[in-house]
Amino acid sequence: MSRSVLYASSPLLASKAPVWRSKFIVAAMALAFLGLAGRAAYIQVFGNAFFQRQGEVRFARTLELPANRGRILDRNGLILASSVVAPSIWAIPEDIDRDPAKLQQLARLLSIPLAELNRKIQDEDKTFVWLKRQVDESVALEIAALGIKGVYQRKEYKRKYPEGEAAAHVVGFTNVENIGQEGVELAFDKDMAGRPGSRRVIKDRLGRVVEDVGEQVPPVDGRDVQLSIDSKVQFFAYQKLRDAVHSHKAKAGSVVVLDAVTGEVLALANYPSYQPEKRQNLSGEQLRNRAITDMFEPGSTMKPITVAAALEAGRVTPQTIIETGPGKYSIGGFTINDTHNYGALTVEGVVQKSSNIGSLKIAQRMSPREMWDVYTALGYGQKPQLQFPGAVPGRLRPWKTWRPVEQATMSYGYGLSASLFQMAHSYTAFAHDGRIIPTTMLKSADPAPGVKVFSPQNAAAVRKMLQMAAGPGGTGQKAQTVGYSVGGKSGTARKQIGKSYASNKYRAWFTGMAPIDHPRIVVAVMIDEPSAGQYYGGAVAAPVFSEVVQQTLRMMSVQPDMAVKPQIVVQAAEESF
Amino acid sequence: MIRLNLVLLVAVVVSALYLVHMQFESRQLFVELEKAAAEARRLATEHDRLQVEKRAQATPLRVEKLARDQLKMRTTTPAITQYVPLPASRASEGAR
Repeated sequence: MSRSVLYASSPLLASKAPVWRSKFIVAAMALAFLGLAGRAAYIQVFGNAFFQRQGEVRFARTLELPANRGRILDRNGLILASSVVAPSIWAIPEDIDRDPAKLQQLARLLSIPLAELNRKIQDEDKTFVWLKRQVDESVALEIAALGIKGVYQRKEYKRKYPEGEAAAHVVGFTNVENIGQEGVELAFDKDMAGRPGSRRVIKDRLGRVVEDVGEQVPPVDGRDVQLSIDSKVQFFAYQKLRDAVHSHKAKAGSVVVLDAVTGEVLALANYPSYQPEKRQNLSGEQLRNRAITDMFEPGSTMKPITVAAALEAGRVTPQTIIETGPGKYSIGGFTINDTHNYGALTVEGVVQKSSNIGSLKIAQRMSPREMWDVYTALGYGQKPQLQFPGAVPGRLRPWKTWRPVEQATMSYGYGLSASLFQMAHSYTAFAHDGRIIPTTMLKSADPAPGVKVFSPQNAAAVRKMLQMAAGPGGTGQKAQTVGYSVGGKSGTARKQIGKSYASNKYRAWFTGMAPIDHPRIVVAVMIDEPSAGQYYGGAVAAPVFSEVVQQTLRMMSVQPDMAVKPQIVVQAAEESF
Repeated sequence: MIRLNLVLLVAVVVSALYLVHMQFESRQLFVELEKAAAEARRLATEHDRLQVEKRAQATPLRVEKLARDQLKMRTTTPAITQYVPLPASRASEGAR
C-alpha cells in the first residue's frame, strides 16, 4: 500500500495559531499608519514654517528691480545726460577657458593689452574679477558671441553726455556706481536717483521665473531734471570762449549768460573743459567750474555799482562834475592812478572812461556802511542762491574794519572779491529796473519779482552809462553788436599772486546787458591771463560778449532795437523787356 | 455605496490632475509674460539709447559744421532778416 500524504489534513494546519500574533500584526500596521499621520501632521502643521522656508530657499529668489536714473534736459527738452545700458564684464579665473586665440580676441574687444588681461585672471583663488566695467552694448554682444567659459556679464547703466565738453561743467558727471559727482548730477542726485524696487519670485529648474510670491515693491524711477540752460546758447558761448582763449593765448576763461527777466541761467561755460565720458587724466584745471568757484577782484566792473549806490543815496546825479585831474591821487600813503588825466568828468563820464579817481571821489561822498549795504544787497560776500555744488561766497569785509584807503579801492573793485557768476548776478539789478532777481538753474516761466536795490530811474541812468561805456569814447567799444544796443563795463585787473600784484599777469572781463532799454540778457565774460599782447577787458573779453549777445538774442527771437541797413530786397523789381 | 465612492474617487483624481495641468499651464503663461516684459524693458532701454544717439548726431557743433560745409549756409544777421510784426490777435500769445 502506498502511503500518501494528506495535505488537507496537515498537522501544521491543524495547529491553532495564537490569536495575539494576528493582533500584533494589525497593531504594528496601525502604529505605522499612526507614525505616518504624525509625521504628516508635523510637516503640515507644526514644522510647516521650517519646510516652507527650506522650499523657498531652494526655489524662491528676490530680484532687484533697478530704478532708472532721471535724465537731464535743457530748456527745450533736449537731452544733456541720459543713462544707457553698458554691461560690465567679469570672470571667474578658475573656470576660464585659456585658449590663447580667444583671449587675444577678448583683450582686443575690451581694448586692454593681453598682458593686463592675463594678469587679471592669473590668480585662480579669486572667484570674482572685473575685466572691464561699462563697455558698449555692441562690444558686449561680441564678447558674448565669443562664448568663453568663465566670462560673464552684468547689466549696468552708464551716463551719456551728448553735449560733451561744452556743457561739462554744468551737467557734471556720475561715477561708475551712478552716483552724481559734479555739477547738476551731484546737486540733484537725490531727485534723479530714484528708488530700486524688488520682487520675490519662484524660479524653476531652468532658472525661469514661474510665479510671483509675496509683495512686489515697484521701482520708483528718478525724476527728469529740466535745466534753464539752452544748449544752443551754451554751445555757442563755449565755442566763442574757446576761440578767444586760444587766440589770446590765455590760460582759461568763463562765460555766464543770465535771462534778465526770469533770472534763469541760460549758459555757463568754462574753458578748459573736459569730456564727461572720458575722464582719464583729468586735471583740476579742467574740472573746476571757474565761473562759480574762482573768486577774484572785480576791478572796474564795480564802478557802475558804486555810482548807482551814490545815485540812490542822492549824493550825486548823472551830471555832477567830478574833478579827476591830474590823474593821480594820494590817500593813506598810497597813490592811485588813472591811465590818462581825464580832467573834469561828469558821473556818466567816470563810468564811460573808467576813471579810478572819479569813482573813489564818488565813494568818498558815502559812508562805508552805505557802500557795504549796497554791495551786500547785490550778493557780494554772500553765497549765491544757486542749486549748485561749490559756489563760493566771495569776500567782502565788514564795513567797520574799512580804512579810508580801502573804501577808496573798493569803489573801483579792489579789496573785495567775487566770482564771475556773482558779478553777472549783481548786474541783473540794473537790467531788471533796480531789482536784483534770484537766479535759478531750473527752467521757470515766470518773471522773477526780485528785491529792490535801486529805483527804476537810477537803474535806467546806470544803463545809459553802461551804454556809453560800450559806445564811442568808452572802454568797451568792441562789445557792439549789429542791431542790438548793448551796455556793459569792461574790467582789467592785475592778478594777485601771494601778497602782491603780478606785473604781467592780468585778468580781463566784460559784464553787460542787451538790449539796453529793456534788457533780456545779462552776459559776463572773463578771460584769465591773456598773453598775446592784448590784455584789456575791452579788447579781449568784449568781442566774446558781442558775439554771445548777438547769437543769444537771435536765438531768443528778440527783435533788433537799433536801425540796421537792410541788405534784403523785399520785392524783386520787375524786369522790363 | 461603493459605486458612489468610486465615482467620487475618479472625480477627485481627475480634478487633481486637472489642477496640476492648470498650474503647469499658468506657469508656462507666466514665463511667456516674463519674456514679453523683459523684451519690453529691453526695447525701452534701446529706445533711450537711440534717443541719446539721435541727440548726439544733432549736437549744435555737428549741425553747424554740416550747415556750413555741406549746405554752404551762413549765420543770419539782423541786416538780412526781415522782422514781421505779430498780428494784434496773436501778439499777446507771443509776448508770453
